[in-house]
Amino acid sequence: MSARAWRDRARRVALGATLPLALLGLWQLASRGGPGAAYAFVPLREVGAGFVEVARSGELRFNALSTLREAFTGLLLGSLAGVVFGAALGLSRVADRLLGPLYHGLRQVPLMGLVPLIGLWFGNGAGAKLVVVSLAAFYPVALATAEGLRQVERTHLELARALVLGRRDTLRLVLLPSAAPFIVTGILQALAFTWIASVGSELLFSATSGLGGFMSLAQAAGRMDLVIVAVASIAVLGGLMNAAVMRLGRRAQRWRHAT
Amino acid sequence: MMNARRASWLDRGAVFIGPLALLAAWAWVTRRTSPEGAQTLVSPGQVVSAVGELLANGQLLHHLRQSPVRLAAGFGCGAGLGLLFGLLMGLSRTADEVCGPLFNAVRQVPSIAFIPMMILIFGIEETFKIVVVAKAAFYPVALAASDGVRNIPRGWIEVGRVYGLRGLALCRCILLPAMLPGLVTGVRIALGRSWTVLVAAEIIASESGLGQMMEMGRQTMRQDVVLVGVFLTGVFGFLLDRSMRVAERRLARWRTA
Repeated sequence: MSARAWRDRARRVALGATLPLALLGLWQLASRGGPGAAYAFVPLREVGAGFVEVARSGELRFNALSTLREAFTGLLLGSLAGVVFGAALGLSRVADRLLGPLYHGLRQVPLMGLVPLIGLWFGNGAGAKLVVVSLAAFYPVALATAEGLRQVERTHLELARALVLGRRDTLRLVLLPSAAPFIVTGILQALAFTWIASVGSELLFSATSGLGGFMSLAQAAGRMDLVIVAVASIAVLGGLMNAAVMRLGRRAQRWRHAT
Repeated sequence: MMNARRASWLDRGAVFIGPLALLAAWAWVTRRTSPEGAQTLVSPGQVVSAVGELLANGQLLHHLRQSPVRLAAGFGCGAGLGLLFGLLMGLSRTADEVCGPLFNAVRQVPSIAFIPMMILIFGIEETFKIVVVAKAAFYPVALAASDGVRNIPRGWIEVGRVYGLRGLALCRCILLPAMLPGLVTGVRIALGRSWTVLVAAEIIASESGLGQMMEMGRQTMRQDVVLVGVFLTGVFGFLLDRSMRVAERRLARWRTA
């Protein structure tokens, strides 16, 4: 890299770091405003100490893994159901007309607004959380699958008809391959939703495990340092997953253009 | 011919068939089940009578009034700040370089995950709900505004200049119409997210609002009350979304024309 590129990069890093550092400084100042302020604005040293404490005890890793497991299990179940349901909507006009309005109507209910109802039906435990997280994946994947099947090129379908392919072969050789990039993109996008839904349902279902549960316990105990550690972990893990999804998504798109 | 007629019948009538079939199945199931079974699923009639009960004791109107007020306050602050911030980031490269990294870092935190932190800072009164809703509204609007500014083709601005437009007139005739459709989409997404987060915040800590009504219903095992809440949150979310979609179509009309 040339000296100029280096200088440009250093300048951007410096500029980008200004605001976060200024805010951290303000936070530190606020923490000196007496015992009342130190309760909400804990000194940064304490946040560091809190991080070391829960990282050493394995608490952080355990809870992060538990939330991740929940997000991916929900992604798997919700995507499976979403692909099947979306395929029904995309392939059958009758199913689309009958179930489509119902699907779009139910989708309007905010997911977190379903939590009290799901709590009554499935209790307060892991099952209820999994239902919420799976639903978070179900909606977008069903939409993407139906959309992908509808956008199959007419010429491909005509070719299938000309070759007298049966229903099954048409599905296997024409419809699914051309809808696959849409489905993959839908599933990748759904990951962000299941991650949010996992954290949210842990908060709402008064769970005791997972990053959300860890966070609400810390809040109840007035441990702002641990709340911040949890928020930062959620951000870092979410950011990493988003970056991975972007890369994989580009690959899925490339495949689509290649065929 | 036969096919076409069948299709149009499907088009018009079928919208109602799905929901009506679900309603019928629901009524049938609740009628068949024993009284113990009735507790896992209340009947449609019970939900309707719960609406009557909640209307009579004034609870429904009380909760129904609180949520939109909070939504309006939080969304107004968040979307307004988001618009200003997005314009700033879109117009000035320095502003983008200074604010961008922090902006993107905070974006990785789901709004709902901010709730415990906001409760510790602001307490469980109104402020924390409004701040969380504002955060949810801020991002989609800010992104739409900055993208909107960046994506205006330079040629359009040059054409405006050729016609002698400058300053405010340039903003009004070229920049605003070019940005508006995208901005309205951002506002629609922001409204949806704000509503979801508000309901969640009300479930976690509130004295009123639709979320709280549902949470109280859950704690007292009043499934009929919970279902009334679910229905109303859905209808309200639907109306918000639909009204913004109508606006989107109106404002994007010039593109196709």
